[in-house]
Order: sequence, then structure tokens, then C-alpha cells
Amino acid sequence: MVDDVALRDWFCNQVLPLESALTAFIRRNWREQNDAVDIRQEIYERALIGARAALPYHTSGYLYAIARNHLANLARRAKIVSIDLVADIDTELPVGAFEPEPELIARDELRRTMVGLQRLPPRCREVVLLRKVEGLSTREVAERMGVGIDTVEKQLTLGIRALTDFMLGGSGKIQRQSRLSFRQKGKFL
Amino acid sequence: MTAAREIEETAAVWLIRRDEADWSPGDEFEFQSWLDESYAHMSAFWRLETAWRGADRIAALGSYAASVASKRRFQASRQRWMSLAASFVIVALSLPLMLRGSSVDDPVRPVSQFRTQLGGHKQVSFADGSTIELNTQTIIRSNVTLRHRDIWLDKGEAFFSVKHLAIPFVVHAGSRLITVLGTKFSVRRDGNNVRVVVTDGRVRVSDADTSHPSPTATIDKGDILEEQGESTLLLQNAGSKVEQSLAWRDGMLEFDRTPLVEVANEFNRYNQRKLVIAGDAGSIRIGGSFKVSNVDAFARLLHDAYGLRIERTSTETKIFS
Repeated sequence: MVDDVALRDWFCNQVLPLESALTAFIRRNWREQNDAVDIRQEIYERALIGARAALPYHTSGYLYAIARNHLANLARRAKIVSIDLVADIDTELPVGAFEPEPELIARDELRRTMVGLQRLPPRCREVVLLRKVEGLSTREVAERMGVGIDTVEKQLTLGIRALTDFMLGGSGKIQRQSRLSFRQKGKFL
Repeated sequence: MTAAREIEETAAVWLIRRDEADWSPGDEFEFQSWLDESYAHMSAFWRLETAWRGADRIAALGSYAASVASKRRFQASRQRWMSLAASFVIVALSLPLMLRGSSVDDPVRPVSQFRTQLGGHKQVSFADGSTIELNTQTIIRSNVTLRHRDIWLDKGEAFFSVKHLAIPFVVHAGSRLITVLGTKFSVRRDGNNVRVVVTDGRVRVSDADTSHPSPTATIDKGDILEEQGESTLLLQNAGSKVEQSLAWRDGMLEFDRTPLVEVANEFNRYNQRKLVIAGDAGSIRIGGSFKVSNVDAFARLLHDAYGLRIERTSTETKIFS
């Protein structure tokens, strides 16, 4: 059994650098783009469950296998998905692994953070800066900006999620309104 | 809201609240319970926490420069001159003599310093994507953070290529502040005289000296602002004067009917062997472009073309008619 600390370290240092490649893989192999974030999280969940027993030797191959199997399962269970998609996943996916995004190395973190900040909506950015750079508490930020604490929390939440998405190789745009997809009609396991 | 997004939002709120001063052991217990409920919670929280802590490290950093590269002279092509816009106005600012130390020169946070020796030419790259090219005998200090990008030009001359971000970029030259709104420009400082040449975008030049402020000016691509003593000279559409001003970036010095004594001063910025002009020879007008380090060739040219006499000692080359 792997303890929490080791599991977390493995997840942050081995799995997260692959997020960009994993996300691209999901988007290429699943028609409904809005489901990508959910599918990704389900893959992470499975990856952690498996790794709790023992950490894999080759994380990228391990993650790839989980991703591939999960997408295949989803496709089989989805009544609305066309036959083509199932066939695609079963026959055309090359065996392989994920490559970590070359940009996401420590040296470029500052630039990536700066650019990520740039992409935030202005109010959101302001809240993030007050919190991060000036170290203000939620209440202090609320007072400084003349808004309620709820608003600050909401903006900060948006900022954290968007910045995380961007830092891990995504676009930094968080969808706030989700379109209904077939997946919401029932829980997929 | 899909399940993943809901979990992510909850994770973010935990992350925010855990950082607050009023976080109690009871809160911690609740948080751990939520975390343990599912691996989906764990992955969502750890994911956000990693990136957010990453931003922490960076916010705590004072100055951060990605890389410094020495540029060899004569390396760039002459094409660069062609790509500069035709209309340049050179604005040089000269600062009034400062009688007291300026507090704007003292940054609060730790900074990085970059300098070039006599004849040096170096490029510094910053993590935000901006670059600064340092000319001979130049000293700059930098403090680039998530909030502000500040550069102090303590001495010499530098060409700035600034990445346009929502984070302000300000060059401090003595009490003058050059606030960047656009992209590419150079600043040269001789004591309290300052010259700003804009090759792209626009910059605002203001004065932080509250007792004796010079007027604020906003200058564009192609402008040169020059201040010497109390007078301000604004040249718009100076054309070739801009290229001349920046020829050092290609390892060249360019002159157009420039008095020899000024030409000599320019060469002397870059070379150990100093040119000393005696007598009337100083007022002869010189035009042309010359390799920065080739003082001897220049002296020979003066002899051949203008019939001037050359006398070399171990440290000087004296020129006289």
C-alpha cells in the first residue's frame, strides 16, 4: 500500500505533467468536447485507485492504458454514440504512451504564470494578485475592492481553476455554463 | 454543472479557506473527510493545489531573469536597419542635476543586476518574454514580478523589447520614468541626460522628481526625446537618426555630418584606446558607418581622407590637423 504523501507526490510530479497530452487524447477520441474535463477527472480517479496498491513503473504508459480503456467503456455504454466511434477506439488507437508537454518545465513557470494571469478577466486577475502578491485574506480583498466576500471567493475560485488549467497546458478558459450532454442523464462508472 | 466542475469548485473553496488565518482544527477535520471521500476529490484538490502553490513560489521571487547571452559584435545583418520604420523621432531627456539622492532609485525588494564592461554587448531575457540589450558600460537592475516589471538604468544604454502584458513595465532612469505602453525602444543615460528612442509602439516619459519635474511626454514609434540640461528636444520623423542611434546593436557606429569631437567620444565609449582630438580637427564633420571596435581603421581613414595627423601612444590615438 502506498501512503498519502507518496501518492500525492506521484500524482503531482508524474501524472500532472501529462495533462496536456491526456486532454488532447480525450478530445481526439470523444465527440462531445464538453465532457473532456469530466472524463479526465474520471481517468485521474482510476489512476489513483490503481496506484494506491503500488505506484506504476511507467506512469505515462499506465495512464494511457487507463485512458484508452475508460474511453472504450464509455463508448460502449453510451447508447447515442455511433458505432463508428467504438470501432475507432478499438482499432485505430496506436499503442503508446503520453509525452509530457515540453514547455512545462520549471524554467518557464514564471512566464507561463504571467501569461496565464494576463488571460484572466480583469476583476478575477485583481483578486488573484491581491491574494497572491500582497497576501491579503479574503476579507481584506473584499474590503479593498468594495465587494462581498462571496464575490471574492467566486472570483478566486475562477482564477485558481483557470490558472491551473493554463499552467498544465490548457487554454485557461473555464467553462462556466455547461451544455447538457448525454452523460448527465445517468452516472457512468 | 457537471460533476467534475462541481468537485473542482468545491476543491478550490477548500484551498482558499485553508489559507485563511481563521482555519480551525474542526475545519481541517471536515476538509480531510471530504478529501477521503473519493479519489476524484483527491485528484481535483491536488491538481489545483499544485498549480496554486507553484504561483506562490513565483510571487515570492523578487527578480527573475531567464537567461543572459553575450552578443558578439558584427553578428547581426544590416537588414535590421531596413526593418526599422522610416519615421523615428528621437527624444532625449536630460535630467536636471539631482542635488539629493533619489529614493526612486532604491527598490524595496531584492533585485538582479546586469552590467557590461567597456565594449560589452549583452542580451538579457526575462521570464515574461521581454529582452533587454545592454550596450557598452551599462548597468541595469531589474525587479520583474507578477505585479510590476521595473528596470533601473543606472548607467549606459539599453534597447528594450517588451512583451505586452497587463503587468506594467517601467524603466527608471534617475528620476525619469519611462512607462511602456508599446514594445520596442532604447534608453540612454549620461549622468542626468536621458535619451529615449522609440522604434515600435509608444512610451510615456514622466518625472518622479516632485520638486523639479520635467514635463510628461508620450512619444510614438519613430520619436526621439532628448533632454540636455533644462531643454527638451523632441524630434519627430527623424528618419535616419533613429537608425543611427541604434546602429550599436549591429556593432556599428553611424554618423551624419557629426563633429569629429563627438565621433571620438562615441568611439571612446567602447574602446580602451581613446581617441583624443586636438585643435581645429574637432570641428570637422564626419559621415558614414564604422565598426565600433575598429578605432585604428577609423584613425587611418581620417589620415587618408582628411589628411589629419595621427600619433599613437600606448593608451591614446591623438588626431590633429
